[in-house]
Amino acid sequence: MASISVPVGGVPTQAAPRPRLRASDFLRWSVDHKIIGVQYMVTSFVFFLVGGTLAMLIRWELLTPNLDLVQTGSQYNSLFSVHGLVMIFLWIIPMFAGFGNYLVPLMLGAKDMAFPWLNAFAFWLIPPAGILMLGSMLVGAPEAGWTQYPPLSTLFSGDGQTLAALAVHLLGISSILGAINFIVTIKNMRPAGMSYWQMPLFVWAILATSIIVVMATPFLAGGLTLLILDRIAGTTFFDANRGGDVLLWQNVFWFYSHPAVYIMVLPGMGVLSDVLTTHSRKPIFGYKMVALSSLAIALVGFTVWAHHMFTSLQPALRIPFMITSMIIAVPTGIKIFSWLGTIWGGKIRFTSAMLFSLGFLSMFVIGGITGVMLAMIPFNLHVHDTYFVVSHLHFVLFGGSVFAIYSGIYHWFPKITGRMLNERLGRWHFVLTYLGFFFTFFPMHFIGMLGMPRRVAVYLPEFQGLNTIASISSFVLGLSTFLLVINVIISLRNGRIAGANPWRSLTLEWATTSPPPATNFIGDPVMFPDPYGYGMPEAAAYLESIDRQFGAPARPPVTDKPAPGVTVVESGD
Amino acid sequence: MNSTKVGPRTVVTLIIVGVLLIVGGFLISQATPLIFPVEASAEARQIDQLFRIALLIGGAIFLLVQGLLAYSVWRFRARAGDLSDGPNIHGNTTLEIVWTAIPAVIVVVLTVLSYSVWTSIQSVKPDEQAVEVQGARFNWAFTYSTPDPRDSSKTLSFKSTELHTYIGRPVRLEMRTQDVIHSFWVPAMRIKQDVIPGRVTEYRFTPVEAAGETYPARYPIQCAELCGAEHGNMIAWVVVHQTEDDYTAWFNQEVDKVLNPPADPVVRGEGILASQVYPCHTCHVLNTETLQWAGNVGPALNGVGDRAAGPRSTATGLSAADYLYQSIHEPNAYLAPGFGPLMPQLNIPECETRSIVAYLCTLTSSGQPACTVELPPECGAGAPPEATPEATAEGTPESSFDPSAPPSGEGASNPTPEATAPAADVTAEATAAP
Amino acid sequence: MQGELSERPLTPQELLDLKNKRTGLAIFQFTWILVFVCLMFVHWWIRGQSPVWPPEGVAKHGVLVPTIMTLALVASSFSARHANHAMKADDRDTFFRHWRIMIGLGALFVLVMAVEWLLVPVSGQYSNLFRVLVGFHGVHALAIGAFLLRVYRNARAGAYSARHFWPVEAAAGLWYFVTVAWILFYVVLYWS
Repeated sequence: MASISVPVGGVPTQAAPRPRLRASDFLRWSVDHKIIGVQYMVTSFVFFLVGGTLAMLIRWELLTPNLDLVQTGSQYNSLFSVHGLVMIFLWIIPMFAGFGNYLVPLMLGAKDMAFPWLNAFAFWLIPPAGILMLGSMLVGAPEAGWTQYPPLSTLFSGDGQTLAALAVHLLGISSILGAINFIVTIKNMRPAGMSYWQMPLFVWAILATSIIVVMATPFLAGGLTLLILDRIAGTTFFDANRGGDVLLWQNVFWFYSHPAVYIMVLPGMGVLSDVLTTHSRKPIFGYKMVALSSLAIALVGFTVWAHHMFTSLQPALRIPFMITSMIIAVPTGIKIFSWLGTIWGGKIRFTSAMLFSLGFLSMFVIGGITGVMLAMIPFNLHVHDTYFVVSHLHFVLFGGSVFAIYSGIYHWFPKITGRMLNERLGRWHFVLTYLGFFFTFFPMHFIGMLGMPRRVAVYLPEFQGLNTIASISSFVLGLSTFLLVINVIISLRNGRIAGANPWRSLTLEWATTSPPPATNFIGDPVMFPDPYGYGMPEAAAYLESIDRQFGAPARPPVTDKPAPGVTVVESGD
Repeated sequence: MNSTKVGPRTVVTLIIVGVLLIVGGFLISQATPLIFPVEASAEARQIDQLFRIALLIGGAIFLLVQGLLAYSVWRFRARAGDLSDGPNIHGNTTLEIVWTAIPAVIVVVLTVLSYSVWTSIQSVKPDEQAVEVQGARFNWAFTYSTPDPRDSSKTLSFKSTELHTYIGRPVRLEMRTQDVIHSFWVPAMRIKQDVIPGRVTEYRFTPVEAAGETYPARYPIQCAELCGAEHGNMIAWVVVHQTEDDYTAWFNQEVDKVLNPPADPVVRGEGILASQVYPCHTCHVLNTETLQWAGNVGPALNGVGDRAAGPRSTATGLSAADYLYQSIHEPNAYLAPGFGPLMPQLNIPECETRSIVAYLCTLTSSGQPACTVELPPECGAGAPPEATPEATAEGTPESSFDPSAPPSGEGASNPTPEATAPAADVTAEATAAP
Repeated sequence: MQGELSERPLTPQELLDLKNKRTGLAIFQFTWILVFVCLMFVHWWIRGQSPVWPPEGVAKHGVLVPTIMTLALVASSFSARHANHAMKADDRDTFFRHWRIMIGLGALFVLVMAVEWLLVPVSGQYSNLFRVLVGFHGVHALAIGAFLLRVYRNARAGAYSARHFWPVEAAAGLWYFVTVAWILFYVVLYWS
């Protein structure tokens, strides 16, 4: 990469049409990947608020050891069951599908996804599935947790369980169709001159995620088909008294659902790779290792499912799953250290996007460490199905995925809307989210180890102190979400004009107007040979030509001084 | 960043940081007594030790990552007005190999340690005390078996809602469930095992003396697998006696209750319900002077005698006593209006069922029993034990567990036959429910 | 090779679309066959619960009729292949002949297996598994069969040619999928 010539120039197009987007464009069928991407994001964010409300109710109930908010244990069970199902299948997975939809064609310099119609179809499966899922609460809510273990979910649950299973089935099909679209787009529609090793790491992450989706989701589809048949057609696959086996479900379910964890985390890791490089002005440290570790995680992820069953699996089978679960920590570790290597020596800008990515690093590593602990069978036997696991999974899925989603929102909002989000509100949002999150979930490690199982509405009085800390912090966490909502509402109208490339990023999605025109690019996009070529002398000229062609930001958005208090936050734990 | 330029200063810095990390990890790992319940079993000691090692390593990694993060954030922040880029560094092979290899070594070490602890805690111990566990929505019951003092060819068994044992005696639980999946967890013992429909699962622990504990010590048993509305209330207790003698005293007392039940079936039935060895109280409402049940899954039992003699009798064509008997033995044969088929077949032995029916008949508004139940003579005091329908029906598939075998080779923990009634009173009894 | 020749007049964009569709169909075939693999796994698991298979006192499924039907389905897949190639060579007569053979054999397969499905004696898991597996496959065969008929109707109206053949190729590809899925189930249900 010593000497590369960057084609600079192009026609300065002050007249580049900046499309005006109306709200109504997003409410109807469209095959434009950008509109579909926004539809995904907004829809799933609405479900995030629904799932978050359920979480607040859960934490409210847990303020005291006895039933108070809800009347019966059944109601509580339906709260956390629907909370889990909504957050996983209607928030994180479709939200990243939204990011992927919006960004992958842009990052590849393509006009659209490979199958625009299929893309729209996959999205429009989500609203009916969401309605089905929430409607299930009205007809005998699902009470068997998001894991839906039979026979509780087959013989002892109301009709809502069938509707919820149906909803998940639909969402699984939507996610398969989306993944096929991503793989084909990435394989066939890269521009001339972009090899796999020049793709942005977000695209790599989406590729790895999509490979998992097409290999794992069919098993969810098969399992759910049988679960629904057991509930409505009188079959007995999961009825131990009539020739079935409850462990069959657990195996099929986790064969999908463990890889599903990586479906939810890998795109977030992709976001992180792009945000950390751009905002610390430094190339990704060890590009190939980061890209390959995504693939390694995707593949090894298929061999670890039974570590969710250490307390039910036949003892002799537990050891191999412990070994594979330990192995998967290695590629995860590579990613974390590569990101640390990336920011080391950089010129870190404390934008909100960067803060959330740093927050991801700081929180996700805790989830990683507890993940290794959980892979140790003897320790797992103690904390399995306790609040330790609740804590672990939220450190991965909130401290990981949701922080990455927030980071991605602050990073790409300017591209999507043409306006910047308010950085001051963003910083407040980060501080409250970071602290609220940490103090909600960190004490749960102790609650679990001390002896409180998960999924209980009543608990022994000695756990009340820690639960109160968790609950109060969770209310802070819940409220912090509205800072983002307010920020988006204000900034849509009054945000600073972003220009084409406010972060001076080198990936292709920035080499067009914000928001991009219907065809994404005016003429053929000019690609910088290295998506993370920060610090190369040619980069400045390239970025300048983008500003000249597609519009410069209203004023440099980079913060004038480092955000105060950030180091305080970092040392706060 | 370049590995060829590692000078003495770098080496010293690395050593200092490494030592600090290990010391920090060690300090973090010393927090374990605060975040664990008491160590009441030999397994708990092993697992806690393993966890301390994991916490030492995990704590060091935590400090390393957060430290690098905080240091980078402070040291490499962009100064005001600095719009330049960082250095164009793409990686460092040595460094990448190091941070792949070190985690790999760590997980290998943890895997080996975990493996050795796990094989140790699941290994068969000598002289294990065998107890049967039944999980049902929403309580636990424990069945102890011993040779019948009146007829040593038979087995006498009794149920308890508490798991009694004593320090130093390995316990092996044979666990079954009546309905859904439950999970047997004693936080103080650190081990958890799911109880799975259609399977028999095992759970082993060896109680040890916990520092500062007063005996008999009581430790909660939690259900850890979601099992329904009252999942959080599915708690029972392990009672650890200090000495074998204390335990034997309790055991003999329980055997005595079995050998000499109350003569009046009503009193006997009430006693069975009050003992909560069957999970009736978790699902039904019943308010009497002695029983305060607040379950909300099944129909209330207050006034059930009136209903059994009135509308239910009309609906089913059965007498009040037969209806109540059927409701217990075939709970789904007739469902009280408004209720679903949720009650499991609890396999309650014949004499106990009849006694419960006798008691339920007295739950009337007038106080006049809706029926009277005569217990056959074989249910009386000194009668031989009943084989439970469960034991007879399920004897074959679970042949690995033989309930008739004496719990231990030494037999010292069991009550001696001489202590109880003479064997001459023994008569055979029909076992299966009609 | 004929297909390659007739593709030549296509524009780069059309070629890219075609490539995309082919890749997409291949991935779809792969991912959806995994649902069938999942059901095979379920079959093996459930039969592992029973000491003997079929369970005591249950008659084994007859093998003769399903074998003949399997051969018919495989033959129909070959017809699909011929028809597909014929369309790319603009040989419409051959296309229609083979497409009709394919639909006829496919319909025969579906009908006979539907009768088998209805007649299988109820015997707990043994018949449950049979019904679920055969039924699950049958639903796919019916849906894709409907697509074959639609392609036939459109072809009669002259909708396809050597330049515009994707629906024909897709239909044939889906019919291969039905065949392969059935062979998996056939082996599992009758020969394992």
